[in-house]
Amino acid sequence: MAKEATGLIERASPRMVARRRATARAQRRLSDSTLTAYLMIAPMVGLLAVFVLWPLVYAVWLSGHRISFYQPSVWVGTQFYHFVLTDPRFWHSLRIGIGYAAMVVPTQMVLALLLASLIKAVSGPMAAVLKTTVYVPAVISSVVASVVFVFIYQDAGLANWVIGLLGMKPVAWLNDPSTALPAIAAPGVWLGFGIATLILLAAMLDIPQSYYESAALDGAGWFRTMRYITIPLLKNVFLFLFVTGFTLTVQEFQLPLIMTGGGPVDDTNTPNLFIFNSFRDGTPYATSFSLAASLLLFVVLGAISLIVFKLVRSTKAVDG
Amino acid sequence: MTSRRFAVNAFSNAFALLICLTILFPLAWMAMAGFKGRTEVLRTPFQFFPDTWNPHNYSAILHDHQFMRAMTVTFIGAVLFTIGSLFVNSLAAYAFARLDFPFKTFWWVVCITPMFVPAMAILLTSFQVVTKLHMLNTMTVLVLPGIASSLQMFFLRQFYLNYPSSVEEAALIDGANRWQIFLRIYLPQSKAPFVVVGTGSFLAFWNSYVWPVLTITNPDLTQIMQVLGNFRSDRGNDWGMLMAGSTIAALPTIILLLIFQRYIVKGVRIAGMK
Amino acid sequence: MRNRRAGLIAVAAATFVTALCVTATSLGNAGSAKGPVTITFWQQKFEDYQQAWFKKYVTAFNKSQNKVVVKYYVVPADVWTQKLKAAQAAGNQPDVATTSYGNIAAGVADGEFTQLDGLMPKSDFTDIKPNVRGFVTIKGKHYAYPMLVEPSTVLYYRKDLVKAAGLDPSKPPTTWAQLIAWAKKLTTPKVKGMTIASTAGDLGWSSWGLQYNACGHLPVNPDWSKGWASSPCYTKLLQFYKDLFQGGLIPQQPKVGYADATPYGNGEVAMMACGSWAIGQLKQDFPKMIAKTAVAEFPSWDGNPKRTTATLGGWTLTLDSKSKNKQAAASFIHYLLAGDPKIMASFFQASGYSKYTVRASVDKALLSDPKANKDPFMKIISAKIVPYGRHEPGYPWDIAFAMGTAIESAMKNNASIDSALKTANDSINRTIQTQGLAGTGNGN
Repeated sequence: MAKEATGLIERASPRMVARRRATARAQRRLSDSTLTAYLMIAPMVGLLAVFVLWPLVYAVWLSGHRISFYQPSVWVGTQFYHFVLTDPRFWHSLRIGIGYAAMVVPTQMVLALLLASLIKAVSGPMAAVLKTTVYVPAVISSVVASVVFVFIYQDAGLANWVIGLLGMKPVAWLNDPSTALPAIAAPGVWLGFGIATLILLAAMLDIPQSYYESAALDGAGWFRTMRYITIPLLKNVFLFLFVTGFTLTVQEFQLPLIMTGGGPVDDTNTPNLFIFNSFRDGTPYATSFSLAASLLLFVVLGAISLIVFKLVRSTKAVDG
Repeated sequence: MTSRRFAVNAFSNAFALLICLTILFPLAWMAMAGFKGRTEVLRTPFQFFPDTWNPHNYSAILHDHQFMRAMTVTFIGAVLFTIGSLFVNSLAAYAFARLDFPFKTFWWVVCITPMFVPAMAILLTSFQVVTKLHMLNTMTVLVLPGIASSLQMFFLRQFYLNYPSSVEEAALIDGANRWQIFLRIYLPQSKAPFVVVGTGSFLAFWNSYVWPVLTITNPDLTQIMQVLGNFRSDRGNDWGMLMAGSTIAALPTIILLLIFQRYIVKGVRIAGMK
Repeated sequence: MRNRRAGLIAVAAATFVTALCVTATSLGNAGSAKGPVTITFWQQKFEDYQQAWFKKYVTAFNKSQNKVVVKYYVVPADVWTQKLKAAQAAGNQPDVATTSYGNIAAGVADGEFTQLDGLMPKSDFTDIKPNVRGFVTIKGKHYAYPMLVEPSTVLYYRKDLVKAAGLDPSKPPTTWAQLIAWAKKLTTPKVKGMTIASTAGDLGWSSWGLQYNACGHLPVNPDWSKGWASSPCYTKLLQFYKDLFQGGLIPQQPKVGYADATPYGNGEVAMMACGSWAIGQLKQDFPKMIAKTAVAEFPSWDGNPKRTTATLGGWTLTLDSKSKNKQAAASFIHYLLAGDPKIMASFFQASGYSKYTVRASVDKALLSDPKANKDPFMKIISAKIVPYGRHEPGYPWDIAFAMGTAIESAMKNNASIDSALKTANDSINRTIQTQGLAGTGNGN
């Protein structure tokens, strides 16, 4: 098929006059392109409208009520938003979520970058094995990952054995406010860096080899090549990884739910865990409160991503 | 020179192997734990190998019709889901990357906003929607609602945005329309990004738990994570079975990735160079 | 021509899945003619033997008559609320569902349950033991039929380890101070003296009995208009938990939650605070531990054995107020829980006598069961714990969680005991205000 496309180009090139006429025809067709474009986005917009956007609009409307499915729901306006916004635990959970993402996302990106360059450096079967291996953690459910890491953090576990080698005293990783969140971030990184590595690898393979060859001629080492060629060229990929990684990790809740239950004393209570727990009663109050809290989380995630886009000022990435 | 290159190569290969082993350690432990008894898994101090190799869990799962049926049904669903989402999202991604049309920014916002919607926010209302559409207990309710993915569309758009436009212009001049260009030029060039995001879609479907529990009660459509959930309880998990089951459930994805990883060689033009 | 075809193919493919769904849906909807009434029953997932028991008797019920067909479905506990609420929102909630005692009051306030009086024979209700009747009764009407009670806190200890530590296994600790002394003696580098809840989520509910024990009341006044968490009597409760944790007498990083007895079964702790259900788990998974284990009522702060140390948790079946087949659903509840005492007796046998009946007639049926009579744990728990057990509070989880957080803060030195209790009290008062609880209390 690709060959056919090149064939089209070759056939088009010989005569200038015909070409100009064709250009005119092509431009006329541009007005049709509105219809084409709408047809192309129609399946996506349609599906999103039915399964995400309408439910979202409806949820926003519901969140103005004290939701009951047995009695008429009472309209209370912004009352539940007020309850959420004045709840110190909600704000605390947001800080925890952002702190968690701040640990996980950059670590994941750096690890992914290093691994991608390693995969690029080794060739043949080892590269194939690595490409598959880095992705393997992602296929493990977070329940199983949680248990594995709870073991690693036990008093006589692997983590304490390693720091013991460095001459440090054992740490109650999951029960110390200063280590609990990083301790949960570790499986978070482990579960998610595979896809980041594959994306970065695919992007790196796209950088023309000639760039590296000329850099090598100039005597640039690995670090300088990374700093001046690879990283700048991968800017858009990093932006993508950052925004999507951030939105996903802030919403983590399985790991803290199983590993710490949100403790010690709320220090690993991520926003979604907070919401999950506030839904536990299933009363009209709990339903409305958790709904309002999750809609506020939506606003926070959207706003932060918008700021990131604006800061990066990558117009290419934001608008069409 | 050659001997030095050889040394570097050997070193990076050895290093790569070490990394593989580190990454795979928890997975290997999970597979080993599948050979352990129900409660032996949680015993301290940490033990990698089982006391006695007990293949009971694995054989029980391989002979469990419900488990194997769930694997099959989930696999079919995941394949449909992946193909559907790659098609729907790449089509929209192409339009956003390559075409100009009125209210483009508006539609872009419409398509990208869902990325930030927490599942909890639309849990009740999206369930109401699928109930009204009489979709409960069908393959459709598992596959259709998640097909349109902002994240995937965003990624593919970045890719198409950086695809050289000269090829497209030439094709246009030659009388090809946008559909042909998308189907004949863009799709064939999308193998690498499709593998990257397709694996993500496959996995998202494979690992989904809450949505199937909400929408599926028919045992013929029960999903693999629902079956694994049966080994869990807050009054004592059946760890041996959970680990054996998780190991077997992880295999299809790993095999698929082994097959498709070779397409990730070149061509994800999201980096922005021509 | 070719252009057009390509476009058409693309559009066709894009709508293919949608078309598929419509077809599949219309096919799935066919059926449902006249015949027996179908009712749905959702059971929250518990221990495996419970699912087996429910399945057996649902099948038996369906076979026993031809008017009602029960469709039985097990829902995982971790998504129970989500699934139930989503179903209620969409109007396809089950006719009959498992409901815990603690959720009855709130459900009745929201109008979720059907009053069972009139739908079930009167004798069904007179059979319920008097101390449990109140658990399912609101303003004189029954809104749920109780199935079982389980004391939330029982003390389990290893006779062999106790003896080895020079203590007398026939005289278990009766005060908190003695318990701590035992835990200290039993703690070795490899075995912790004790295990008890240590995260706010678990503490929130598992400490209710000890909250009653320390103060005689829960941290909110009887009509739920005011927080009572800063009562000085709670100081000793927080101190007790704090001593256990700070003294290194309980696991510092527990692998499982309070309700799971695995660490005790694996020999990692010498004593355990856990609900009576742990007996079932030990019998099932750690049969070798049974001979080494003794149970006792959990110590009271001052040694008074009549003070509550455990709430009686447990499960009931409720009938949805929007059910279209109330009489049929009630006949199922009657069959399963209130009819032939042998059916429920078989449940308690299957549980390894780790749960306790709420019906006088089932007690009688169990009397003729030699195994039940011989069971050493059952006697102690039914004679020394169940009679003093109190009702689980029906107040919102937020209040329970605030108290759980206070205990956890004290345990982990996050705050002083006084300030932890003050924070909890503020939080409880806030909950009272936002949820409009004042005056809605049921006397807890």
